[in-house]
This record gives sequence, C-alpha cells and structure tokens, in this order.
Amino acid sequence: MAPVRPNPFIPFTARLKDSIELTPDVKLLRVELEDETVRNNLSYQPGQFAFVSAFGVGESPFGIASVAYQKDGLEFAIRRVGTVTNALHELEPGAIVGVRGPFGNYFPLDEYKGKNIVIIGGGIGMAPLRPVIRTILDNRQQYGQLTTIIGARSPSDLVFVNEYESWAKQPDSRLELTVDRGDANWKGRVALIPAVIKELQLSPDNAVAIICGPPIMIRFVLVELKALGFAPRQIVTTLEAKMKCGLGKCARCNVGEKYICQDGPVFRLDQITTFLEQF
Amino acid sequence: MVKFIQKTDLLAWLEGIMRERTLVAPVKEEGVTRFRPVEKVADIVMDSGSTDLSAKDWFFPPSEVLFTMSKVDGQAVITPTTMAKEAVLFGLHPCDAQGIALMDLPFLAEPTDTIYAEKREKTTLVGLACRQACPECFCTSFGSSPFDSAGLDVLLIESGEGYIVQSTTPKGQKLLDSAKVTEANVEMPQPPAVNSVPIEGLVEIAPKLFNDAFWNRLADRCIHCNMCADVCPACYCFDIRDYTGKGGLVERVRTWESCQASGFTRIAGGYTPRPTKGARLRQRFYHKFLYMPKQLGKIGCTGCGRCVRVCPVNIDIREIITTMQKSGAKIGAGSS
Repeated sequence: MAPVRPNPFIPFTARLKDSIELTPDVKLLRVELEDETVRNNLSYQPGQFAFVSAFGVGESPFGIASVAYQKDGLEFAIRRVGTVTNALHELEPGAIVGVRGPFGNYFPLDEYKGKNIVIIGGGIGMAPLRPVIRTILDNRQQYGQLTTIIGARSPSDLVFVNEYESWAKQPDSRLELTVDRGDANWKGRVALIPAVIKELQLSPDNAVAIICGPPIMIRFVLVELKALGFAPRQIVTTLEAKMKCGLGKCARCNVGEKYICQDGPVFRLDQITTFLEQF
Repeated sequence: MVKFIQKTDLLAWLEGIMRERTLVAPVKEEGVTRFRPVEKVADIVMDSGSTDLSAKDWFFPPSEVLFTMSKVDGQAVITPTTMAKEAVLFGLHPCDAQGIALMDLPFLAEPTDTIYAEKREKTTLVGLACRQACPECFCTSFGSSPFDSAGLDVLLIESGEGYIVQSTTPKGQKLLDSAKVTEANVEMPQPPAVNSVPIEGLVEIAPKLFNDAFWNRLADRCIHCNMCADVCPACYCFDIRDYTGKGGLVERVRTWESCQASGFTRIAGGYTPRPTKGARLRQRFYHKFLYMPKQLGKIGCTGCGRCVRVCPVNIDIREIITTMQKSGAKIGAGSS
C-alpha cells in the first residue's frame, strides 16, 4: 500500500530514468520516485495499476509492467494513442513525471501455486502480464506448466521481444507467438489468438487462464477456452476502463455496482458474467 | 413558545458571519439562481424557491483546482488546494441537505476525498424550510419533507416577521451564539403539501428491466445536453484535466462530467463500452436506482425535481419511476 497521503489526487513526483522503444508506437518508461522513503516502502502486485502524469497535459492509468521485488523503479509499457501518452513518449530521461498508485486488486498468484498457467496476451495487453510471467519464472518450482501465448497485429507490434528467449527456455515453459499479418522476415505463425488456442488444445485440468488484450480478442478467446472445457472460475482477466480518479468516485469505470478501479481491474469470468452490462 | 429570530436580526447575524467566514447563499447570476459566496447580504435571494443549480456546487463545484504544480530550480513543487476560511452554507432547502448527504456517500468513503471532506468539516449548513412546494418536487418519496431538518445544522422556518429557529447540531448551536434569538409565542405554520411518487420495489425490479426496449425508446428524444446531471444534487461523476497557465503553473482541475456524454466510457484505442444513447440513459437511472443503493445504501435521488424542470425534451424521472413499477408489476403478474 502507498503511504497515507493528505490528498489522494496528489501524485508522487518521479524522474524518468529510461525511455526504451519497444515497437514503433510503444515505449517502456522506467521511472524512479523521488522521495527515498516512499520509494523504499512502495509495494505492489502483478495486475495493479498506477496513474502516470505528464504534468500540464494530464494523467492516465497504466498497468504496472515491473515487479516490486526488482527494486529498480517502476516500469510502464505505454502505447502512443492520445494526448497524455503522446506527451509521455516525448519526455527525455531526467524529466519530472507524477505517479499515483498503486491501485486496484491483482492476480491472485498465491492461489495459483501448483497449477498449470496459461497466459494469453494481445498487443499492449502484455504489459500487466509481464510481472505475472516474471513472478512465476522467478518462483518456477511453485507452479506447474507455463504456456504463454502472445499475439500482435504484426511482428513489429510484439512487445518485450528481447525477453522471449528467457521466458521460453525455462523448464516446463513454452511460448507461442502469433501475428495477424506477417512480414518479409516473419517465419512464425500467422493466425488470430483464438485460433492458436484451438490449435494447441490446451487442457483445462488443474489449469488457470490469465488473459489481457483488446475487448474483441478477449471475447473470442473466451469462446475457445469454454470449448476446451475451461470453467468460468478458471479464467481471469483484467478489464480496461476509462478512469479519472482511481478512488471509486469519478464513476467513469462504474459497471453495475462495481468500480473497475477499486473492485478490479482483475476479475474472474464467473464474476464478470454477473454484470448486467458487457464491459 | 419557540425560538425565533426577526428578519432584520437574521440579516444582521448573516452580516456578522460574513466578517469571519465565507457566506455561501443563493444569488441570481444572469438569470440563474445558484449558491455562491456573497459579498453583501442584500444579494441573497431569500425566497428562491428551489434554486436552479443545487447546493452541491459549494462542495463539488463545476470546476475546482485539485492542486497546482510548478517547477522551481528543476524540482516539482506541488501545492494542494486547501480551504482558507470556515464557511456557512445558507438558504438551502431540506432536499438539498439530502443531496449533500448522498454526495457524502462516495466522497467520504475510503479512500476519502480530502478536498471534499475539508469543505464539509469547515462548513455549517443553515437551511430554510420550504413554504411552498415546487410543482415538480417529490421529496417525501425519499423520506424528507418541507420542514425536515435532517442533515442541517440549523433550520429556519419562516413565520410572520421572522423565522422559527431549530438547531439540531452543536455546530449549529455555536453559530447561533451570535444571533439575536428570542423565545416567542409564534405559531408553527403548516408545511406545504408535496406530491409523492411511490418508489417501493424500484431496486428489486430494476435488474429485470435492464434489457427492456423502453430505454432506447426514451433515449430517442434525449439530446445529451447533460443538464440533468448538472442540476442534480446527487450526480457526482467527474473529469480531471490539466491546464498550464502563465509562467508554466500547472493546475490539475476537476470538472463535472455526465454519464450521458458519448465519450464518458471511451478508452484508449476508441472502444466505447456504452456506445448508444439508450445505454447511457439507462446508466443514469440504474446508477441512481440500483447501483447506488447496492453499493452505498441509498437511492441517488432526492426528489428535488430539478431534472424534470430543465430537461428540454421532457424526460421525467417521476414517469420513469412509475413506468418501471408498472412494468415490474406486469412481469411479477406474468411470472407468478
């Protein structure tokens, strides 16, 4: 938990340490909180998110792409899609940014110990899944088989490419890549993620599927997982929603009596199916 | 015998309050009655009926600075917004006191909105009982009434040449120390009759009507002007934006937002979970009639009638309540 702040809208000030281009429109921003006490006491879990401020332009929520125990700054994989993300992309190392968080619940990885894990990430949806993969691989013996399926629109849209080798070579771990459209150098699969799930015939026995991606991808992934026999309780996803406060007040992420920022963003499918509205 | 204050003494009391505190009261600005800090007591619209904008404006204004950020020697200096003086919110009616009580539910819930909480703590509420009911109002449906003192620190009931004074809290009592209140033999007037709209079973029936064609039909005439949310004492959705002023001073500003706006739920990449007017209009009423009761324990309406009065296409919350109940009765009859 973040230390108690006098005003929950005030971010921690931070410095941009690195800005690394992952794809033509995605950068990995590594930031370091300025206050040493805050920095040392900051803890967060895979799946939680934080708001990053480009002061003068605004702040937006992003899934935290790093693991807390790494103690080397907070990382955010940010796709350039709007005014705030544009401004964040333009920043040079050393620039002042704001960080407000962590917010929300997280993937209950402790509950998944001993289980086979299927991770399905589409595009920038890999950002909150990266700390899940890292946590599992850093505690490899505590989990069963790890199957990671990563998809993107094109080979150049795949994120965290330079980490794939270390993810794939671990015992009992496999990595399946796919793209919607290949290019001249692409030797791998050209297929949509749902088709890959069908092709792999994943077993639902003692398994849990963790999904993040665009809403349309999630919808069709669910169809395939259900066909393979995955029960709603075995499927967990993280929902994206418009958010302004992260405090359960602005009501932008309100769906039914839930606030995605406070009650989520991580939900099991059996929880989502109780929503009156599709989000 | 009742506690009583003469009209001239009331004005003198308010003058005295203004010397030490911010006095917020109904004023008329460009034809609109609304709650504003006043500079002279003469500006107060004493018999405002129901103000055009609700008393929520003081605690949750149309726009407010959450904090400012400036760079000094390469370092970020963040200055939070704080409230300089204590305040008195004067002249609100019982329905607006109910509205503030509803506003407390989200804003004071953990994690507390400290900006709102500070204003609540440092503001004393002096209400005016309703001597007339508005044609659109139905506060009795939600347990309030024209002379209801719930949520107020002081309630004043007009009678003859002055006001009967009811003080319900220590905060109100303290404020009255400087008022010339006497014991008087004044008759307590009769409260005006208020139309009531039955609301029984609303929360229970709502889930069954979620996919009813009614919402899309109703939305056909909605022009999403957002006026209903602006005048509503219980609507609390907001937006947050940054503005950069002269000298690079950054203000992070909160402004009202409405769930009726098409971009309200639009996320990066363009996906909009609530893309139709029907879905958005339904959200307005479901948030009030189902989600707020389930999450925060109360229906998000005070029966003030303002949305009925301002809607340019006559979308009437009272008719919606009645229609939902009738549809519910039909479903109930059909399934039993």
